[in-house]
Amino acid sequence: MTAAKPKPLPYTDPAHQAAHQFLVEEAALLDAADYPGWLDLLCEDIRYLMPVRVTTARGAGFDSLADMGHFDEDMYALRKRVQRLATDHAWTEDPPSRTRHFITNIRTFPNGRGELRVESSLLLFRSRGDTREPDLVSAGRTDLLRETAAGLRLARREILVDEAVLRTQNLAVFL
Amino acid sequence: MNLAGPQLESVLADVRRGMIPAHVYGDPEIFALERDRLFARSWVFLAHESEVPDPGDYVVRRVLADSFIVVRDESGAVRVMFNMCLHRGMQVCRAEMGNASHFRCPYHAWTYRNDGRLAGLPFHAEAYGGEDGFPRQDQALLPAPSMDIHNGLIFISLDPDAPPLRDYLGDFAFYLDFYTRQSPAGVELRGPQRWRIKANWKIGAENFAGDSYHTPHTHASVVDIGLFREPKASKRKEGALYVAGPGAGTTYKLPPGGDFAGQLRYVGYPDAMIPAMAETWTAGQRALIGESGFMVSAATLFPNLSLVHNWPQIDDSGTVVPFISLRQWQPVSERETEVLSWFAVDAAAPAEFKRDSYKAYLMCFGSSGMFEQDDVENWVSITEMAAGSMARRLNLNSRMGLNSAGQPIKAPLATFAGPGVAYQGFGEFNQRHWLRQWSDHLEREPAVRAVVNLGGPR
Repeated sequence: MTAAKPKPLPYTDPAHQAAHQFLVEEAALLDAADYPGWLDLLCEDIRYLMPVRVTTARGAGFDSLADMGHFDEDMYALRKRVQRLATDHAWTEDPPSRTRHFITNIRTFPNGRGELRVESSLLLFRSRGDTREPDLVSAGRTDLLRETAAGLRLARREILVDEAVLRTQNLAVFL
Repeated sequence: MNLAGPQLESVLADVRRGMIPAHVYGDPEIFALERDRLFARSWVFLAHESEVPDPGDYVVRRVLADSFIVVRDESGAVRVMFNMCLHRGMQVCRAEMGNASHFRCPYHAWTYRNDGRLAGLPFHAEAYGGEDGFPRQDQALLPAPSMDIHNGLIFISLDPDAPPLRDYLGDFAFYLDFYTRQSPAGVELRGPQRWRIKANWKIGAENFAGDSYHTPHTHASVVDIGLFREPKASKRKEGALYVAGPGAGTTYKLPPGGDFAGQLRYVGYPDAMIPAMAETWTAGQRALIGESGFMVSAATLFPNLSLVHNWPQIDDSGTVVPFISLRQWQPVSERETEVLSWFAVDAAAPAEFKRDSYKAYLMCFGSSGMFEQDDVENWVSITEMAAGSMARRLNLNSRMGLNSAGQPIKAPLATFAGPGVAYQGFGEFNQRHWLRQWSDHLEREPAVRAVVNLGGPR
């Protein structure tokens, strides 16, 4: 006998609606390249993780690497990335990419400790220059949103990318 | 359709005088020659033993279009075999990693042990008339024509007559130890991160071999934000470039007056790791750090394995921690490369060092690394331009460090404890060394290989 799968909050639940709005507003900041504004949405103890996905046989019991990510960031590392993009020498984003973060399939689960576990699907469209094919990055995200005095803040994000081999030249973007 | 003889001779002659026809970075005919003449012969890195620690562990890796299974068999030996069923050519393993006692072809269920031997096929008697029609004995997936291991690094060559790997590595083995043998335990690899870039594979290989000249400008942002103090031009030009055997690399000059242990502490190695380095490395290897005062940074082993060792600050209190990465520039086409980037760390290192070094790696290199991001932007742009018509009218100047007569503008370093030839300061000695090897391969006719007929008519 297996435990019943937790049910997401109804879409009419105010907590779900708040989480949904948080993710949409966050995506708007990222697409506007307002990275300092984005950092303000993160908890100081953030963990921002994107494991490497791998192709394994059905039944292998794993399809991502436990000890290697594309990202495994704390606040120091994320601040450095944002500081770098603000310098005059971050060539890979100058001229900047045009990005669109499409966020959908949002499901919200209370975790019983005053936080919300929020699952979402992400499709990132990234276009650079005028001759290159655009890139797509498809991923599922599992976030932990924490209620603070300033409102909801992101305490943890795990990005489960849908490709084993990324088709974008780098991750100079946030997902 | 390959380049005709005189055209190719002209390209190689230009390359050998340090003038690189720009189209070689985006030319399908050059790419075909690289496939048939270079990658069909050279030793190519596939995997590290730490990626397949236990019997049955496997990873699947490629040499261009050829897929190979790298597996530790039940006896504990590492095997590398061509991932193609002997019967109808299906890939017998379609995962990229895992553990298996057997590989079973999904098409007709021919089944192979994890040492490659054919274990069985359905209806042998009915379909083939038994052993006479198809002798099962001694049939096995095709092994890599040559396979050899050094410091746990598993290489193959498609040339059955390749020289022993250690002979090939030559003097570069001295430098390889700094990255892959810091203690008797050796290194362990994690990853790789894999991603595709629209860049020619040669550009990354040349860059890591010796382009210290790009560091102060391309990577200015990491100095701006205080992530890594060394790349600024005033420090970078004090480093030495060395050429040794089939490899070449860059170093940073360490602060004056430090001894061996002090210099390792300067780049962030904890005291717990230093005695093992002192015991594992030779007097010459210790002297490169302790007496010559140089620390290895980026390097390339011809053709497409690069290594990097840097020591960024990993927290707000300024803690400096070194990391090592191995990376392979896997050619996909003349315009596209798959990058495989591993994090490497001494297997005997303390757990907290492994954690911190991993953090240092992720911030600097790999798919999200703040150094690598800007490198790839450059390489994609070069490749895009190299594919056009005007690139056929331009030879790129790769003569840095030479005068008009082709003589070095300065003498080699006399006090460099490592083997090979080293120059202090900027120069393109290393890239030219890499390109000479490339040229030597491209002018050799491909060998005619014997075809394997398994169970054919007698």
